[in-house]
Amino acid sequence: MNTEIIANTTEVRAPATHTAVRVDHVSMAFGEGEQTNRVLADLNLTVDQGEFISIVGPSGVGKTTLLRIFSGLIQPTEGHVYVENERIRQPHPSIGVIFQDYSRSLLPWMTTIDNVAFPLEGRFGKKERRERAEAALESVGLGGQGGKYPWEMSGGMQQRVAIARGLAYEAKILLMDEPFASVDAQTRFSLEDLVSDLQRRLNLTVILVTHDIDEALYLSDRVVVLAGKPASVVTTIDTDFGDHRDQASTKADPRFGEARTRILELLGH
Amino acid sequence: MSAFRKLLEKSWLVVALVLLWWFASASSTNVFFPPLSVILETLVRDLSSGLLLEYLAFSLTNLGLGLLFAIIIGIGLGLLIGEIRPLRDALDPYVSFARSIPQAALVPLIIGTFGLGPGPKIYTIAFACVFPILLNTIDGVRGIEPTIRRFGKVYRITPARYFRRVVLPGALPQIFAGIRVALPIGITVMVVSELYAANKGVGFYILNSSSTFQMAQTWAGAILVGVVGYFITLIFFRIERLPLRWYFKSGAMAQ
Repeated sequence: MNTEIIANTTEVRAPATHTAVRVDHVSMAFGEGEQTNRVLADLNLTVDQGEFISIVGPSGVGKTTLLRIFSGLIQPTEGHVYVENERIRQPHPSIGVIFQDYSRSLLPWMTTIDNVAFPLEGRFGKKERRERAEAALESVGLGGQGGKYPWEMSGGMQQRVAIARGLAYEAKILLMDEPFASVDAQTRFSLEDLVSDLQRRLNLTVILVTHDIDEALYLSDRVVVLAGKPASVVTTIDTDFGDHRDQASTKADPRFGEARTRILELLGH
Repeated sequence: MSAFRKLLEKSWLVVALVLLWWFASASSTNVFFPPLSVILETLVRDLSSGLLLEYLAFSLTNLGLGLLFAIIIGIGLGLLIGEIRPLRDALDPYVSFARSIPQAALVPLIIGTFGLGPGPKIYTIAFACVFPILLNTIDGVRGIEPTIRRFGKVYRITPARYFRRVVLPGALPQIFAGIRVALPIGITVMVVSELYAANKGVGFYILNSSSTFQMAQTWAGAILVGVVGYFITLIFFRIERLPLRWYFKSGAMAQ
Protein backbone atom coordinates (compact mmCIF):
# COMPACT_ATOMS: atom_id res chain seq x y z
CA MET A 1 0.00 0.00 0.00
CA ASN A 2 2.69 2.38 1.11
CA THR A 3 5.04 1.55 -1.72
CA GLU A 4 2.23 1.97 -4.17
CA ILE A 5 1.69 5.54 -3.08
CA ILE A 6 5.38 6.31 -3.31
CA ALA A 7 5.59 4.68 -6.71
CA ASN A 8 2.61 6.70 -7.82
CA THR A 9 4.02 9.97 -6.62
CA THR A 10 7.33 9.40 -8.35
CA GLU A 11 5.54 8.58 -11.51
CA VAL A 12 3.62 11.81 -11.38
CA ARG A 13 6.67 13.85 -10.48
CA ALA A 14 9.15 12.30 -12.85
CA PRO A 15 8.33 14.31 -15.98
CA ALA A 16 7.97 17.41 -13.84
CA THR A 17 11.68 17.64 -13.10
CA HIS A 18 12.50 18.17 -16.75
CA THR A 19 10.96 21.59 -17.09
CA ALA A 20 12.75 24.41 -15.34
CA VAL A 21 10.68 27.39 -16.42
CA ARG A 22 7.56 27.66 -18.48
CA VAL A 23 5.53 30.69 -19.47
CA ASP A 24 2.08 30.03 -20.71
CA HIS A 25 0.22 32.56 -22.89
CA VAL A 26 1.89 35.44 -21.12
CA SER A 27 0.97 39.00 -21.97
CA MET A 28 2.26 42.09 -20.31
CA ALA A 29 0.98 45.63 -20.49
CA PHE A 30 1.93 48.67 -18.47
CA GLY A 31 -0.44 51.52 -17.74
CA GLU A 32 -4.15 51.76 -18.36
CA GLY A 33 -6.64 53.11 -20.87
CA GLU A 34 -5.20 54.99 -23.82
CA GLN A 35 -1.80 55.10 -22.15
CA THR A 36 -1.53 51.32 -22.19
CA ASN A 37 1.81 50.10 -23.37
CA ARG A 38 1.53 46.51 -24.52
CA VAL A 39 4.95 44.96 -24.26
CA LEU A 40 4.46 41.22 -24.56
CA ALA A 41 1.62 39.37 -26.23
CA ASP A 42 0.66 35.73 -25.90
CA LEU A 43 4.18 34.55 -25.29
CA ASN A 44 4.91 30.87 -24.79
CA LEU A 45 8.25 29.42 -23.85
CA THR A 46 9.47 26.30 -22.11
CA VAL A 47 13.00 25.97 -20.80
CA ASP A 48 14.25 22.53 -19.85
CA GLN A 49 16.33 21.78 -16.83
CA GLY A 50 20.03 22.10 -17.61
CA GLU A 51 19.35 24.08 -20.73
CA PHE A 52 21.16 27.27 -21.65
CA ILE A 53 18.96 29.63 -23.58
CA SER A 54 19.51 33.18 -24.73
CA ILE A 55 16.86 35.74 -25.43
CA VAL A 56 17.78 38.23 -28.14
CA GLY A 57 15.86 41.00 -29.77
CA PRO A 58 16.00 44.70 -30.53
CA SER A 59 16.44 47.00 -27.58
CA GLY A 60 13.20 47.96 -25.91
CA VAL A 61 11.45 44.84 -27.17
CA GLY A 62 10.73 43.61 -23.64
CA LYS A 63 13.59 41.20 -22.91
CA THR A 64 14.19 42.58 -19.44
CA THR A 65 10.45 42.61 -18.76
CA LEU A 66 10.28 38.94 -19.68
CA LEU A 67 13.21 38.18 -17.39
CA ARG A 68 11.52 40.01 -14.53
CA ILE A 69 8.41 37.93 -15.14
CA PHE A 70 10.55 34.77 -14.91
CA SER A 71 12.08 36.04 -11.70
CA GLY A 72 8.71 36.67 -10.07
CA LEU A 73 9.51 40.36 -9.58
CA ILE A 74 6.52 41.37 -11.68
CA GLN A 75 3.32 39.54 -12.54
CA PRO A 76 2.17 39.20 -16.13
CA THR A 77 -1.10 40.88 -17.04
CA GLU A 78 -2.29 37.60 -18.50
CA GLY A 79 -1.01 34.05 -18.47
CA HIS A 80 0.91 31.99 -15.99
CA VAL A 81 4.54 31.40 -15.09
CA TYR A 82 5.75 28.08 -13.78
CA VAL A 83 9.08 27.37 -12.14
CA GLU A 84 9.80 23.68 -11.66
CA ASN A 85 6.13 23.13 -12.45
CA GLU A 86 4.97 25.34 -9.65
CA ARG A 87 2.95 28.38 -10.58
CA ILE A 88 4.74 31.42 -9.17
CA ARG A 89 3.45 34.76 -7.96
CA GLN A 90 6.66 35.79 -6.21
CA PRO A 91 10.35 34.94 -6.53
CA HIS A 92 11.02 31.22 -6.42
CA PRO A 93 13.84 29.80 -4.27
CA SER A 94 15.42 28.03 -7.24
CA ILE A 95 15.94 31.27 -9.09
CA GLY A 96 18.97 33.50 -8.86
CA VAL A 97 19.34 36.70 -10.83
CA ILE A 98 22.59 38.21 -12.08
CA PHE A 99 21.87 41.86 -12.70
CA GLN A 100 23.33 43.99 -15.43
CA ASP A 101 24.66 46.72 -13.16
CA TYR A 102 26.77 44.50 -10.94
CA SER A 103 28.25 47.42 -9.07
CA ARG A 104 24.77 48.38 -7.93
CA SER A 105 23.53 44.95 -6.98
CA LEU A 106 26.35 44.25 -4.54
CA LEU A 107 26.15 45.89 -1.13
CA PRO A 108 29.07 48.32 -0.78
CA TRP A 109 29.03 48.17 3.03
CA MET A 110 29.71 44.45 3.09
CA THR A 111 32.89 42.63 2.18
CA THR A 112 32.75 40.32 -0.80
CA ILE A 113 32.35 37.17 1.28
CA ASP A 114 29.59 38.79 3.35
CA ASN A 115 27.82 39.79 0.15
CA VAL A 116 27.91 36.20 -1.06
CA ALA A 117 26.89 34.79 2.32
CA PHE A 118 24.16 37.34 3.04
CA PRO A 119 21.23 35.58 1.27
CA LEU A 120 22.03 32.47 3.33
CA GLU A 121 21.28 34.23 6.61
CA GLY A 122 18.47 32.48 8.40
CA ARG A 123 19.18 29.29 6.49
CA PHE A 124 22.60 28.35 7.88
CA GLY A 125 24.78 29.20 10.85
CA LYS A 126 27.58 31.71 10.52
CA LYS A 127 30.36 29.17 10.02
CA GLU A 128 28.48 27.21 7.38
CA ARG A 129 27.54 30.41 5.57
CA ARG A 130 31.16 31.45 5.33
CA GLU A 131 32.23 28.02 4.12
CA ARG A 132 29.59 27.99 1.43
CA ALA A 133 30.40 31.54 0.40
CA GLU A 134 34.12 30.75 0.23
CA ALA A 135 33.41 27.65 -1.88
CA ALA A 136 31.28 29.73 -4.24
CA LEU A 137 33.97 32.39 -4.53
CA GLU A 138 36.47 29.63 -5.23
CA SER A 139 34.34 28.29 -8.08
CA VAL A 140 34.33 31.67 -9.81
CA GLY A 141 38.08 32.03 -9.39
CA LEU A 142 38.02 34.43 -6.46
CA GLY A 143 39.16 32.07 -3.70
CA GLY A 144 40.75 33.88 -0.77
CA GLN A 145 39.59 37.30 -1.95
CA GLY A 146 36.48 37.51 0.20
CA GLY A 147 37.97 40.10 2.52
CA LYS A 148 37.92 42.78 -0.16
CA TYR A 149 35.06 45.18 -0.64
CA PRO A 150 33.26 45.07 -4.01
CA TRP A 151 34.41 48.60 -4.84
CA GLU A 152 38.01 47.51 -4.45
CA MET A 153 37.50 45.11 -7.36
CA SER A 154 37.34 45.48 -11.13
CA GLY A 155 34.03 45.24 -12.97
CA GLY A 156 34.71 41.70 -14.11
CA MET A 157 35.57 40.59 -10.60
CA GLN A 158 32.42 42.21 -9.22
CA GLN A 159 30.32 40.30 -11.74
CA ARG A 160 32.06 37.10 -10.63
CA VAL A 161 31.05 37.94 -7.06
CA ALA A 162 27.45 38.39 -8.20
CA ILE A 163 27.60 34.98 -9.88
CA ALA A 164 29.11 33.44 -6.74
CA ARG A 165 26.24 34.91 -4.75
CA GLY A 166 23.76 33.12 -7.00
CA LEU A 167 25.71 29.87 -6.70
CA ALA A 168 26.00 30.04 -2.91
CA TYR A 169 22.25 30.65 -2.80
CA GLU A 170 21.97 27.31 -4.60
CA ALA A 171 20.03 28.77 -7.46
CA LYS A 172 19.28 26.05 -10.01
CA ILE A 173 18.11 28.57 -12.54
CA LEU A 174 20.24 31.61 -13.24
CA LEU A 175 18.59 34.57 -14.92
CA MET A 176 21.15 36.91 -16.39
CA ASP A 177 20.22 40.34 -17.68
CA GLU A 178 22.94 41.58 -20.04
CA PRO A 179 25.47 40.54 -17.43
CA PHE A 180 28.55 41.29 -19.51
CA ALA A 181 27.37 44.48 -21.18
CA SER A 182 29.58 46.80 -19.17
CA VAL A 183 32.92 45.01 -19.12
CA ASP A 184 35.71 45.08 -21.70
CA ALA A 185 35.94 42.44 -24.44
CA GLN A 186 38.69 40.36 -22.81
CA THR A 187 36.87 40.20 -19.49
CA ARG A 188 33.68 39.46 -21.33
CA PHE A 189 35.16 36.38 -23.02
CA SER A 190 36.51 34.99 -19.78
CA LEU A 191 33.21 35.59 -17.99
CA GLU A 192 31.34 33.88 -20.84
CA ASP A 193 33.60 30.85 -20.54
CA LEU A 194 33.21 30.86 -16.77
CA VAL A 195 29.41 30.85 -16.99
CA SER A 196 29.47 28.20 -19.70
CA ASP A 197 31.74 26.01 -17.60
CA LEU A 198 29.70 26.45 -14.40
CA GLN A 199 26.48 25.73 -16.24
CA ARG A 200 27.79 22.37 -17.50
CA ARG A 201 29.49 21.41 -14.25
CA LEU A 202 26.58 22.22 -11.98
CA ASN A 203 23.88 21.36 -14.52
CA LEU A 204 22.36 24.80 -14.15
CA THR A 205 19.56 26.20 -16.21
CA VAL A 206 20.59 29.57 -17.58
CA ILE A 207 18.39 32.15 -19.22
CA LEU A 208 20.52 34.91 -20.65
CA VAL A 209 19.20 38.17 -22.00
CA THR A 210 21.66 39.77 -24.35
CA HIS A 211 21.80 42.12 -27.31
CA ASP A 212 24.95 40.40 -28.52
CA ILE A 213 24.01 37.73 -31.05
CA ASP A 214 27.49 36.18 -31.09
CA GLU A 215 27.40 35.82 -27.33
CA ALA A 216 23.96 34.23 -27.50
CA LEU A 217 25.01 31.73 -30.18
CA TYR A 218 28.31 30.91 -28.51
CA LEU A 219 26.80 30.16 -25.10
CA SER A 220 23.37 28.72 -25.67
CA ASP A 221 21.70 25.49 -26.63
CA ARG A 222 18.86 27.54 -28.00
CA VAL A 223 18.47 31.16 -29.03
CA VAL A 224 15.03 32.69 -28.64
CA VAL A 225 14.34 35.65 -30.88
CA LEU A 226 11.82 38.18 -29.63
CA ALA A 227 10.37 40.77 -31.96
CA GLY A 228 7.26 42.78 -32.64
CA LYS A 229 5.24 45.33 -30.74
CA PRO A 230 3.87 43.85 -28.55
CA ALA A 231 6.60 41.24 -28.70
CA SER A 232 6.36 37.52 -28.97
CA VAL A 233 8.74 34.71 -29.85
CA VAL A 234 9.33 34.88 -33.60
CA THR A 235 11.63 31.90 -33.71
CA THR A 236 13.93 29.73 -31.68
CA ILE A 237 17.19 28.53 -33.14
CA ASP A 238 18.87 25.38 -31.89
CA THR A 239 22.60 25.66 -31.89
CA ASP A 240 24.51 22.43 -32.38
CA PHE A 241 28.09 23.38 -31.77
CA GLY A 242 28.51 20.65 -29.16
CA ASP A 243 29.60 20.81 -25.56
CA HIS A 244 33.17 21.81 -26.18
CA ARG A 245 33.21 25.30 -27.48
CA ASP A 246 35.92 27.88 -27.53
CA GLN A 247 35.91 31.52 -28.44
CA ALA A 248 38.05 31.13 -31.56
CA SER A 249 36.98 27.94 -33.36
CA THR A 250 33.29 27.93 -32.45
CA LYS A 251 32.80 31.43 -33.74
CA ALA A 252 34.67 30.46 -36.93
CA ASP A 253 32.31 27.52 -37.57
CA PRO A 254 30.34 28.16 -40.80
CA ARG A 255 27.12 27.13 -39.05
CA PHE A 256 27.77 29.90 -36.55
CA GLY A 257 27.84 32.43 -39.36
CA GLU A 258 24.68 31.03 -40.91
CA ALA A 259 22.79 31.20 -37.63
CA ARG A 260 23.98 34.75 -37.08
CA THR A 261 22.81 35.79 -40.53
CA ARG A 262 19.42 34.22 -39.95
CA ILE A 263 18.91 36.06 -36.68
CA LEU A 264 20.07 39.36 -38.15
CA GLU A 265 17.61 38.94 -41.02
CA LEU A 266 14.81 38.18 -38.58
CA LEU A 267 15.62 41.34 -36.71
CA GLY A 268 15.42 43.26 -39.99
CA HIS A 269 19.09 43.97 -40.64
CA MET B 1 57.77 71.47 11.24
CA SER B 2 55.01 70.36 8.92
CA ALA B 3 52.70 69.63 11.84
CA PHE B 4 53.37 73.12 13.12
CA ARG B 5 52.69 74.54 9.67
CA LYS B 6 49.42 72.67 9.46
CA LEU B 7 48.35 74.02 12.82
CA LEU B 8 49.32 77.50 11.69
CA GLU B 9 47.36 77.18 8.46
CA LYS B 10 44.28 76.11 10.37
CA SER B 11 44.45 78.60 13.21
CA TRP B 12 45.90 81.84 11.89
CA LEU B 13 42.50 83.40 11.27
CA VAL B 14 41.20 82.48 14.72
CA VAL B 15 44.31 83.89 16.35
CA ALA B 16 44.09 87.04 14.26
CA LEU B 17 40.42 87.59 15.10
CA VAL B 18 40.94 87.02 18.81
CA LEU B 19 43.87 89.45 18.82
CA LEU B 20 41.82 91.99 16.87
CA TRP B 21 38.95 91.66 19.34
CA TRP B 22 41.35 91.83 22.28
CA PHE B 23 43.00 95.09 21.24
CA ALA B 24 39.92 96.73 19.76
CA SER B 25 37.95 96.17 22.94
CA ALA B 26 40.80 96.76 25.38
CA SER B 27 39.79 100.26 26.36
CA SER B 28 36.06 99.85 25.78
CA THR B 29 33.77 101.47 28.30
CA ASN B 30 30.59 100.52 26.43
CA VAL B 31 28.53 98.41 28.81
CA PHE B 32 27.41 96.10 25.96
CA PHE B 33 30.93 95.53 24.67
CA PRO B 34 33.23 94.92 27.62
CA PRO B 35 36.94 94.29 26.95
CA LEU B 36 37.72 90.71 25.92
CA SER B 37 40.09 90.46 28.87
CA VAL B 38 37.18 91.08 31.23
CA ILE B 39 35.00 88.54 29.39
CA LEU B 40 37.64 85.85 29.64
CA GLU B 41 38.32 86.69 33.27
CA THR B 42 34.60 86.24 33.99
CA LEU B 43 34.53 83.00 32.05
CA VAL B 44 37.46 81.56 33.97
CA ARG B 45 36.02 82.77 37.26
CA ASP B 46 32.62 81.20 36.73
CA LEU B 47 34.09 78.01 35.33
CA SER B 48 36.46 77.53 38.23
CA SER B 49 33.78 78.32 40.79
CA GLY B 50 31.91 75.32 39.36
CA LEU B 51 28.77 77.34 38.61
CA LEU B 52 29.16 77.30 34.83
CA LEU B 53 30.27 73.68 34.83
CA GLU B 54 27.12 72.70 36.65
CA TYR B 55 25.02 74.73 34.22
CA LEU B 56 26.86 73.25 31.29
CA ALA B 57 26.32 69.71 32.55
CA PHE B 58 22.59 70.43 32.89
CA SER B 59 22.35 71.90 29.39
CA LEU B 60 24.41 69.22 27.72
CA THR B 61 22.42 66.45 29.38
CA ASN B 62 19.27 67.99 27.92
CA LEU B 63 20.94 68.27 24.55
CA GLY B 64 22.17 64.67 24.67
CA LEU B 65 18.78 63.26 25.64
CA GLY B 66 16.92 65.46 23.17
CA LEU B 67 19.22 64.40 20.37
CA LEU B 68 18.92 60.77 21.39
CA PHE B 69 15.13 60.90 21.15
CA ALA B 70 15.36 62.76 17.86
CA ILE B 71 17.75 60.16 16.45
CA ILE B 72 15.66 57.19 17.55
CA ILE B 73 12.38 58.68 16.32
CA GLY B 74 13.89 60.25 13.19
CA ILE B 75 15.63 57.10 12.02
CA GLY B 76 12.83 54.70 13.00
CA LEU B 77 10.09 56.76 11.40
CA GLY B 78 12.27 57.72 8.45
CA LEU B 79 13.06 54.11 7.59
CA LEU B 80 9.37 53.20 7.68
CA ILE B 81 8.17 56.26 5.76
CA GLY B 82 10.94 55.93 3.20
CA GLU B 83 10.39 52.25 2.57
CA ILE B 84 6.61 51.90 2.80
CA ARG B 85 4.94 53.74 -0.02
CA PRO B 86 1.39 54.07 1.38
CA LEU B 87 2.79 55.39 4.65
CA ARG B 88 4.83 57.96 2.77
CA ASP B 89 1.87 59.12 0.73
CA ALA B 90 -0.22 59.45 3.88
CA LEU B 91 2.35 61.22 6.05
CA ASP B 92 4.13 63.42 3.54
CA PRO B 93 1.90 66.51 3.95
CA TYR B 94 2.17 66.35 7.74
CA VAL B 95 5.93 66.06 7.64
CA SER B 96 6.16 69.04 5.28
CA PHE B 97 3.79 70.99 7.52
CA ALA B 98 5.59 70.21 10.75
CA ARG B 99 9.02 70.96 9.39
CA SER B 100 7.94 74.43 8.34
CA ILE B 101 7.04 75.43 11.90
CA PRO B 102 9.85 77.53 13.37
CA GLN B 103 10.91 75.35 16.26
CA ALA B 104 11.99 78.22 18.49
CA ALA B 105 8.47 79.61 18.30
CA LEU B 106 7.16 76.50 19.96
CA VAL B 107 9.48 76.75 22.95
CA PRO B 108 7.19 78.90 25.12
CA LEU B 109 4.24 76.75 24.08
CA ILE B 110 5.89 73.46 24.96
CA ILE B 111 7.28 74.78 28.21
CA GLY B 112 3.96 76.41 29.02
CA THR B 113 2.23 73.11 28.45
CA PHE B 114 4.70 70.78 30.09
CA GLY B 115 5.97 73.07 32.81
CA LEU B 116 9.37 73.56 34.43
CA GLY B 117 12.23 71.14 34.73
CA PRO B 118 14.38 69.46 32.11
CA GLY B 119 11.54 67.43 30.49
CA PRO B 120 10.01 70.13 28.27
CA LYS B 121 13.47 71.37 27.28
CA ILE B 122 14.37 67.89 26.13
CA TYR B 123 11.11 67.63 24.15
CA THR B 124 11.81 70.97 22.50
CA ILE B 125 15.32 69.94 21.49
CA ALA B 126 14.03 66.57 20.26
CA PHE B 127 11.27 68.23 18.24
CA ALA B 128 13.65 70.65 16.59
CA CYS B 129 16.27 68.01 15.83
CA VAL B 130 13.96 65.29 14.59
CA PHE B 131 13.15 66.93 11.25
CA PRO B 132 16.56 67.08 9.60
CA ILE B 133 17.18 63.50 10.73
CA LEU B 134 13.75 62.28 9.60
CA LEU B 135 13.89 63.98 6.21
CA ASN B 136 17.43 62.85 5.52
CA THR B 137 16.61 59.29 6.54
CA ILE B 138 13.65 59.25 4.15
CA ASP B 139 15.88 60.59 1.37
CA GLY B 140 18.54 58.05 2.21
CA VAL B 141 16.08 55.18 1.99
CA ARG B 142 14.64 56.52 -1.26
CA GLY B 143 18.14 56.75 -2.66
CA ILE B 144 18.91 53.06 -2.30
CA GLU B 145 19.53 51.56 -5.72
CA PRO B 146 16.47 49.91 -7.31
CA THR B 147 18.76 47.02 -8.25
CA ILE B 148 19.48 46.41 -4.56
CA ARG B 149 15.74 46.38 -3.90
CA ARG B 150 15.28 43.80 -6.65
CA PHE B 151 18.17 41.78 -5.30
CA GLY B 152 16.46 41.70 -1.89
CA LYS B 153 13.23 40.45 -3.40
CA VAL B 154 14.71 37.81 -5.69
CA TYR B 155 16.99 36.44 -2.99
CA ARG B 156 14.04 36.46 -0.61
CA ILE B 157 15.64 38.48 2.16
CA THR B 158 13.07 38.69 4.98
CA PRO B 159 11.67 42.18 5.61
CA ALA B 160 13.20 42.50 9.09
CA ARG B 161 16.62 41.47 7.85
CA TYR B 162 16.24 43.69 4.81
CA PHE B 163 15.61 46.71 7.03
CA ARG B 164 18.49 46.00 9.35
CA ARG B 165 21.14 44.86 6.87
CA VAL B 166 20.19 46.72 3.70
CA VAL B 167 17.96 49.76 4.26
CA LEU B 168 19.63 51.02 7.44
CA PRO B 169 23.26 50.80 6.27
CA GLY B 170 22.26 52.02 2.81
CA ALA B 171 20.65 55.12 4.28
CA LEU B 172 23.35 55.64 6.91
CA PRO B 173 25.42 58.25 5.05
CA GLN B 174 22.31 60.40 4.68
CA ILE B 175 21.25 59.72 8.26
CA PHE B 176 24.58 61.02 9.50
CA ALA B 177 24.23 64.05 7.27
CA GLY B 178 20.89 64.68 8.98
CA ILE B 179 22.42 64.40 12.45
CA ARG B 180 25.17 66.79 11.36
CA VAL B 181 22.50 69.35 10.45
CA ALA B 182 20.60 68.63 13.66
CA LEU B 183 23.58 69.27 15.95
CA PRO B 184 23.80 73.07 15.66
CA ILE B 185 20.00 73.31 15.69
CA GLY B 186 20.01 71.30 18.91
CA ILE B 187 22.62 73.56 20.47
CA THR B 188 20.66 76.68 19.54
CA VAL B 189 17.40 75.28 20.84
CA MET B 190 19.18 74.10 23.98
CA VAL B 191 20.07 77.72 24.73
CA VAL B 192 16.71 79.12 23.64
CA SER B 193 14.79 76.60 25.75
CA GLU B 194 16.51 77.94 28.85
CA LEU B 195 15.47 81.49 28.15
CA TYR B 196 12.01 80.60 29.48
CA ALA B 197 11.14 79.24 32.89
CA ALA B 198 14.60 78.07 33.80
CA ASN B 199 16.73 78.43 36.89
CA LYS B 200 19.91 76.87 35.60
CA GLY B 201 21.70 76.01 32.39
CA VAL B 202 23.91 77.96 30.01
CA GLY B 203 20.92 79.65 28.39
CA PHE B 204 19.69 80.78 31.77
CA TYR B 205 23.20 82.08 32.57
CA ILE B 206 23.16 84.16 29.37
CA LEU B 207 19.64 85.50 29.82
CA ASN B 208 19.99 86.19 33.51
CA SER B 209 23.26 88.07 33.07
CA SER B 210 22.00 90.19 30.22
CA SER B 211 18.85 91.17 32.08
CA THR B 212 21.00 92.26 35.03
CA PHE B 213 23.45 94.03 32.72
CA GLN B 214 26.32 91.65 33.50
CA MET B 215 27.38 91.79 29.86
CA ALA B 216 30.72 90.13 30.47
CA GLN B 217 28.80 87.04 31.61
CA THR B 218 26.53 87.19 28.57
CA TRP B 219 29.54 87.21 26.30
CA ALA B 220 31.29 84.52 28.34
CA GLY B 221 28.23 82.27 28.06
CA ALA B 222 27.95 82.83 24.31
CA ILE B 223 31.64 82.07 23.80
CA LEU B 224 31.35 78.93 25.89
CA VAL B 225 28.40 77.67 23.83
CA GLY B 226 30.32 78.36 20.64
CA VAL B 227 33.43 76.52 21.80
CA VAL B 228 31.47 73.57 23.15
CA GLY B 229 29.47 73.38 19.91
CA TYR B 230 32.68 73.37 17.92
CA PHE B 231 34.08 70.44 19.88
CA ILE B 232 30.82 68.50 19.71
CA THR B 233 30.88 68.81 15.92
CA LEU B 234 34.54 67.78 15.88
CA ILE B 235 33.81 64.68 17.97
CA PHE B 236 30.86 63.85 15.74
CA PHE B 237 33.02 63.94 12.62
CA ARG B 238 35.37 61.49 14.32
CA ILE B 239 32.53 59.17 15.32
CA GLU B 240 30.83 59.08 11.91
CA ARG B 241 34.05 58.04 10.15
CA LEU B 242 33.81 54.62 11.74
CA PRO B 243 30.47 53.22 10.51
CA LEU B 244 30.82 55.12 7.24
CA ARG B 245 34.33 53.93 6.43
CA TRP B 246 33.03 52.03 3.40
CA TYR B 247 31.23 55.13 2.18
CA PHE B 248 34.18 57.50 2.37
CA LYS B 249 36.61 54.93 1.03
CA SER B 250 34.42 53.78 -1.87
CA GLY B 251 33.79 57.43 -2.72
CA ALA B 252 37.52 58.02 -2.77
CA MET B 253 37.95 54.96 -5.02
CA ALA B 254 35.34 56.24 -7.48
CA GLN B 255 37.31 59.43 -7.93
